[in-house]
Amino acid sequence: MEHLTNRIWVLLEHRDGRLKPVSREAVTCAQALAGPLKMSVSLVLLGDHTIEGLTHQVDREYGLEVLAIRTESGAVCTPEIQCEVLRQSIAQEAPYLVLMGHSYQVIDFAPRLAAQLDRAFLSNCLGHEIRDGKLHFIRPVFGGKLHQEMTFLGEPPFIVSIQPGAYSNQILRTEDSPGVVWKDIPPLKQNPGRRVLEIVEEASKKVDLTQASVVVAGGRGLASREKFQLILDLAEVLGASVGASRPPVDGGWLPKEHQIGSSGQTVAPRLYIACGISGAIQHLVGITSSQCIVAINKDPNAPIFNVADYGIVGDVFKVVPLLIELARELRR
Amino acid sequence: MRFLVCLKQVPDKDSRYSLDDSSCWIKEQDLTFETNEADLYALEQALRLKERHGGEVVVLSLGDDRVLKCIKHGLAMGADCAIHLRVPGSGWRDAFATARVMAQAIRRRSVDLVFAGVQSEDLAHAQTGTILAHFLGWPHATIVLEVQVDPDFVTIVVKRELEGNLFERCQLSLPSVLTIQSGPNQPRYPTLKGIMQAKRKEIVTLTPEDLGLRDQDLRATGSRLVPGRLFFPAKKKRTVMLEGSDEEMAGALIEKLRKEAKVL
Repeated sequence: MEHLTNRIWVLLEHRDGRLKPVSREAVTCAQALAGPLKMSVSLVLLGDHTIEGLTHQVDREYGLEVLAIRTESGAVCTPEIQCEVLRQSIAQEAPYLVLMGHSYQVIDFAPRLAAQLDRAFLSNCLGHEIRDGKLHFIRPVFGGKLHQEMTFLGEPPFIVSIQPGAYSNQILRTEDSPGVVWKDIPPLKQNPGRRVLEIVEEASKKVDLTQASVVVAGGRGLASREKFQLILDLAEVLGASVGASRPPVDGGWLPKEHQIGSSGQTVAPRLYIACGISGAIQHLVGITSSQCIVAINKDPNAPIFNVADYGIVGDVFKVVPLLIELARELRR
Repeated sequence: MRFLVCLKQVPDKDSRYSLDDSSCWIKEQDLTFETNEADLYALEQALRLKERHGGEVVVLSLGDDRVLKCIKHGLAMGADCAIHLRVPGSGWRDAFATARVMAQAIRRRSVDLVFAGVQSEDLAHAQTGTILAHFLGWPHATIVLEVQVDPDFVTIVVKRELEGNLFERCQLSLPSVLTIQSGPNQPRYPTLKGIMQAKRKEIVTLTPEDLGLRDQDLRATGSRLVPGRLFFPAKKKRTVMLEGSDEEMAGALIEKLRKEAKVL
């Protein structure tokens, strides 16, 4: 990588011909960096011949330089293929920075890609700062209770993923489209250590929380299936839908179709009441469009209070029964 | 089959943090430490596979003597023996450097399947297991919920979580590395018998020197990132915190939701 270019790559993730929302946010992050660093942005798509439609659409929509890397190495890219194709492309094209959204797919291949390049992968960043020409990224640590500034050690290219929702999706469109550069990589000779057998959709859509106007949700703080009944009771008296963060679903306290967050549903109710939910980012991404968020938690430093409109630091087993009682009185 | 499970020790989830004098790390002396939850799910998977197919479960933890608590808990849950990668000090550690040291220790043993948690609760890089697979030259799969060993003991089939209610089933050749996501297989609690038996189980202690590495390999020369200042995040919203007794807070909340926010 002797001839390093002044390019920031944004790897656009897609499924079924559509871009992931976080990929757009990665583009705005790249645009925010490009000015101060005096660099240009290239949008990178990776896939087989079926990416042509999406490539032209991206080119028309944003007017930014597009690099489309085509390879017929199998319809479903495994990390083995993604790493090899990107490793070759990065070595040849030598971008300064490779940005992507912090998605499940990125978690699956980016650490390995970075290690193959002997570089760092700075994951799940939610902001940046440029000081003295040097690039710093900020990422959440300790369950989001603290943020940490990070820099790279050694030479570019640097590989960074950004947290969903951390950057806006308002991409600055340019009028003069530089067009699409196609790059074809011959099918990889492979000894696949990992082979995809099938992709299935599982949880039924029996419970649709996306249209609910009031949601009462419980988390780890509810402690057991029996005690989770309290959430059902509050929901009933408020005429609300029932939601949950991950731990109640893992614990089998209620079915997965009630899970809210990155691996569940995204809600946008008028009122969201989070009980005993600390506010891991995987949960928060599913509730940020709520009009009014109430948080009840015993830990005053829980990240849920950073996004709440009203907060109660207290014991859910004491506060929620009082709320049920008050709501009952209101109904009478 | 031999299964190896990587356990990381992290601060208790309900910890209240304060910063040390450098402002680059937390004051660790005030905190309680426990095993990273996703790693316990990883250990549970390994124990279930052993119960089904036979073999041995080894737990491995890297750190100073504080991590012995984590190791003993793993042994009490049912692991057969342990490796303590004893490195001096604590504080921030680079995933790349950590994975390299662990790979050096694992490479020397005949291990069929390595398990790690999908990410740690403290630094949440979500990388160490995957980089470990790179250093070992083995295939990997992340965000795994279920593992089945094929009858030939040469391949395994795993179920991975994707976003938006999608799941992937894929086949991996052994040896390989899996990072485990929390799911229905709840980690077991150590029994009294387990705790008693754990006292007689072997803990092998290895230092970086034993593995032909230098202290430097875990610090500057081995790392690819430099940690900077830590700080408490600014709030995104102006949160109205209700105060008083439980009754007062509950009453005030209902009042505000009706009159102020007008959402009830």
